[in-house]
Amino acid sequence: MPLLFPEEDASDVRRRYKPDVIKGDMDSIRKEVLDFYRSLGTEIIDKSHDQDTTDLHKCITYIRDFAPDVNKSSQLCILVAGALGGRYDHEMGNLNVLYCFSSLRIVLLSDDSLIYLLPRTHHHEIHIQTSVEGPHCGLIPIGVPSRSSTTTGLRWNLNNTEMRFGGLISSSNIVVGEKVTVQSDTDLLWTISIKKL
Amino acid sequence: MDLMHHSSTFLLPTIPLHHGPSLTYALVVLNQTLPRFAPLLWKHAQLRLCADGGANRVFDEMPLLFPEEDASDVRRRYKPDVIKGDMDSIRKEVLDFYRSLGTEIIDKSHDQDTTDLHKCITYIRDFAPDVNKSSQLCILVAGALGGRYDHEMGNLNVLYCFSSLRIVLLSDDSLIYLLPRTHHHEIHIQTSVEGPHCGLIPIGVPSRSSTTTGLRWNLNNTEMRFGGLISSSNIVVGEKVTVQSDTDLLWTISIKKL
Repeated sequence: MPLLFPEEDASDVRRRYKPDVIKGDMDSIRKEVLDFYRSLGTEIIDKSHDQDTTDLHKCITYIRDFAPDVNKSSQLCILVAGALGGRYDHEMGNLNVLYCFSSLRIVLLSDDSLIYLLPRTHHHEIHIQTSVEGPHCGLIPIGVPSRSSTTTGLRWNLNNTEMRFGGLISSSNIVVGEKVTVQSDTDLLWTISIKKL
Repeated sequence: MDLMHHSSTFLLPTIPLHHGPSLTYALVVLNQTLPRFAPLLWKHAQLRLCADGGANRVFDEMPLLFPEEDASDVRRRYKPDVIKGDMDSIRKEVLDFYRSLGTEIIDKSHDQDTTDLHKCITYIRDFAPDVNKSSQLCILVAGALGGRYDHEMGNLNVLYCFSSLRIVLLSDDSLIYLLPRTHHHEIHIQTSVEGPHCGLIPIGVPSRSSTTTGLRWNLNNTEMRFGGLISSSNIVVGEKVTVQSDTDLLWTISIKKL
């Protein structure tokens, strides 16, 4: 965080950007970092005994179960930085978290793209913030083939179209205008590029 | 069911003789930062292609991997055999440079239905007879992961579309390839360069039954699906992993930082 504010004093930046909670199995966090945030009052939740779920999974569970102030599931949206890139098995595990918690809004973000799930239980309207995202986008049938998906607002729309790995998936698509609609018989992953500003 | 052997010998400084099936390597470079071991992949490959902007990467970044050498010398030494794609990313100076050195330029800008990687795989499969012995050909792809996520998924789909070809996607951190359901698989772990972190991912279709040996958490007729169990954050134990499954699985293993 201090590197993003090079003109400011690093300690000031660190105090301003103090996490509320640090949670996980604690095998990566440096001791000096842990001590620093603990001294500032950050809640430290050590889940090192639980090796069955990923760190992201643990954090999503915490937010869903123990953060009542933000836990109105119809309004909660969990933004995740750092879920993509790095070890590919980690990236896939993080992607799976979207499917495991399909009733929650979870957005995975990298410098280049954002991704979230469009559950099959709903029709979807995606309002494109053209100043910050697009035009490159995709709809990906991860986990299960889609027998029928239909869209509007894309350069190459789907019309009751089948999608599956090994066949057609909607990648390198383009948003046209400011609204995209999607409906499908399966959960689809929506991805859109983030503009370099 | 036939056995298929896999071994990441392309990450070794020299490929041991008589080590499993004899493979011919082709390298495709896509438009992402070159992995630090790109020169090693280049050395092992008999055919080197750049997909469009991948040529910019070789031109700009190969000299950076040899900082003590003259940049022009490095560029001449690492000259792609072919540059193919829709040519909307490659810089004119780069195109002219490689063309003047004799690189074959294949402009497919009229074909917008397939990705640049797809075009390169098709080329290698169909038009490169010297390396086209499909039971022995192995296509290494640098730069398929990272960057735009829709591109990454499109590149992943290429593995499934060409499931009878050996194609390995490589980043600095991981390599991934398909384990087709048509075979039992033996993966020989090159412990000096890869592991121990690994995963088996049922990307396109749920798996009703997968079985493994050689992992910390083996599967035993286990179901896997997105939204349920997938095998990520697994660990290879020892030097051989076996996999059989009712569906195509994606195998991924970490690459050691040397």
